Amino acid sequence: MLTLRNLRKKFGDLIAVDGLSLRIEPGEVFGLLGPNGAGKSTTIGMSVGMIRPDAGDVTLEGFGDPMNPPVRRAIGVAPQSLAIYEDLTARENMVFFGRLQSMRGRTLRRRVDLTLEMVGLSSRQFDRVATFSGGMKRRLNLAAAMIHEPPLLLLDEPTAGVDPQSRNSILELVRSLAAQGVTILYTTHYMEEAAKLCSRVAVVDHGRLLAIGTVPDLVRTHGGTTVITVDRGDRSERIETSDPVRDVATIMADPTRGISGLRIDRPDLESVFLNLTGRSLRD
Amino acid sequence: MTPVIALAIKDLRHLLRDRGAAFFALGFPLLVALFFGFIFGGDTSQRARLAVRVVNLDQGPAGAALVDAMGRDGSIELSASDDPTEAADAVRLGKAVAVVTIPRDFSAASDAIFVGVARSIEMVVDPSRRSEAGLLEGKLNQLAFRQLSERFADPAWMRTAIANAKQAAATARDISPPQAIGMSLMFDAIQRAIDAGFNPAAGDGEAWTPIRISVSSLDTPRTGPRSGYEVSFIQGIIWGLMGCVTAFGSSMASERSRGTLARLTVAPITRAQVLAGKSLACFIACLAVQAILVAFGMAAFGISVERPLMLVTACLAAGVGFTGLMMFMAGLSRTEGGGGGLGRALVLILAMIGGGTVPLFVMPRILLAASRVSPFSWATTCLEGALWRGYSAPEMLLPAAILVSFGVVGFAIGVSALRWTE
Repeated sequence: MLTLRNLRKKFGDLIAVDGLSLRIEPGEVFGLLGPNGAGKSTTIGMSVGMIRPDAGDVTLEGFGDPMNPPVRRAIGVAPQSLAIYEDLTARENMVFFGRLQSMRGRTLRRRVDLTLEMVGLSSRQFDRVATFSGGMKRRLNLAAAMIHEPPLLLLDEPTAGVDPQSRNSILELVRSLAAQGVTILYTTHYMEEAAKLCSRVAVVDHGRLLAIGTVPDLVRTHGGTTVITVDRGDRSERIETSDPVRDVATIMADPTRGISGLRIDRPDLESVFLNLTGRSLRD
Repeated sequence: MTPVIALAIKDLRHLLRDRGAAFFALGFPLLVALFFGFIFGGDTSQRARLAVRVVNLDQGPAGAALVDAMGRDGSIELSASDDPTEAADAVRLGKAVAVVTIPRDFSAASDAIFVGVARSIEMVVDPSRRSEAGLLEGKLNQLAFRQLSERFADPAWMRTAIANAKQAAATARDISPPQAIGMSLMFDAIQRAIDAGFNPAAGDGEAWTPIRISVSSLDTPRTGPRSGYEVSFIQGIIWGLMGCVTAFGSSMASERSRGTLARLTVAPITRAQVLAGKSLACFIACLAVQAILVAFGMAAFGISVERPLMLVTACLAAGVGFTGLMMFMAGLSRTEGGGGGLGRALVLILAMIGGGTVPLFVMPRILLAASRVSPFSWATTCLEGALWRGYSAPEMLLPAAILVSFGVVGFAIGVSALRWTE
């Protein structure tokens, strides 16, 4: 669906994206993960034709280069910062973004109704966005991206700063869109979210692709070993293992050791992320 | 075309819903127009009249006739007062240029025109308005002379006056007998001439006057506004245009800070369409502000449009010019504060020197020359030309073309300076 080939982009002396190549298959939810400043937003900017790459190319299969405005009709973007007008009502926002896509008349009205329904804002459609909660604004931000039914959706941290209910609603909506065959490029700092939603994940840092694959593959190759922590009174023992089932069975079979607690830390996407990008703070 | 119109509608909605911006685009200009119109005195024919208080202590016909003549004179706005102190206070407070007091013996002195002391009136003037007092003194001399001419045209009054004069000459102690005889002979000669039908005031010709000044109003073409509101509403329009420029000039920076610029740039529209939408909104707002203020001025304050077609031309040229200025400001505005503040300050200065505070036609020559760097100055010229200067199409061409040029240059600079991404 979307192919990025050897993309490079520099801002002054800063290399934001350095030879990045990706291919996102039709209908998949693809997670793009990386710490702050890793080059995710620049990559998304180049993917949607907002930023012109210094080198490399972007192709939206069946449509062409997103730098060409008509090609962008196939893309919906929900930027990380809320890109909606607070002075307008929810409906006015949707109508405006629909008209930017050259939608009009009954088609536009029907699509506005349906999209507002999908994000659960029908009952507040005539209220100004300024009166909305953070979660409602996030949902509207997402609705504005899908008003024109694009086959490719780029969602840049769509659940940042929302309450669990809104977060759950957004995740359900993303699953539903994926089930309908929409291709989704998803960025997030919530690893659990990416693990639940994404069929494949890419980890980038310093503008380079560090790893790509399904979550189980990445965990297996980059997640490290399982750690069993055994508490015995006032001391605890840490055991790294590649076969936790066998080792736990062994530990539990010895009644003389006085076990007061047992914890198993299996590798997950977060450990993959930290192993690949390091534990130093990023600003 | 749909996205461009959608952008324009969205921006106009923003303007209307942003109470501050809407106030500065329409409410404040209206207040400016009303305030300065009131200060300038509304109808300039009223403003041109000399406010005078008159205290008539004379009970006779001559005093009453002088008051009547002053009241009918178009250049005097007369208020009668019985209280000399109240009248003096009016001058002190600046409500009147002068107090004219007609003494008790004014009628008696008028009847004894050929004898005794000269009739007199008293005038107390505001020292800060001496030039107007001088005008009033001349006007009173003119009225007194006219009154005298009317008396001379009345044979019955002349006979009585001559008889009184002869009587006074015969009994006067301060003239010699030959002088008394000479005067008696002169009065007899005048008496005979009047009896024979000679009218010294009218006759076949006209009464004697030291100088005849012909005064007429220059109606076509008009060289001045009919009322202060024709000046102040143009000032109001200037402030309204400034409001539009500042409101829309920061809209690109607002889009950027809101994050909506990102959504606009990834929409399937060109950047030219985004700029066209923004420009269309500003152009419509500029036209609307001008139309509303002119219509309000016409309906409420009797402003008349000398050349309607020229007014349309002026408004369109101003719309183009200030849309370009808006884009220039948008190019400067990296953030809603910062460059936007600089742009607003620049536009404010241009508006002030361009006729927003001091009308161009009362500016000193050097300031008027300096004001020509401001597009607001050319807009003022265009609007004055259409409203009360009666500009013809060739006369309108230069200021309108300069205004459009300002727009084109401002647009080009602004577009080249615009940043589309962070």
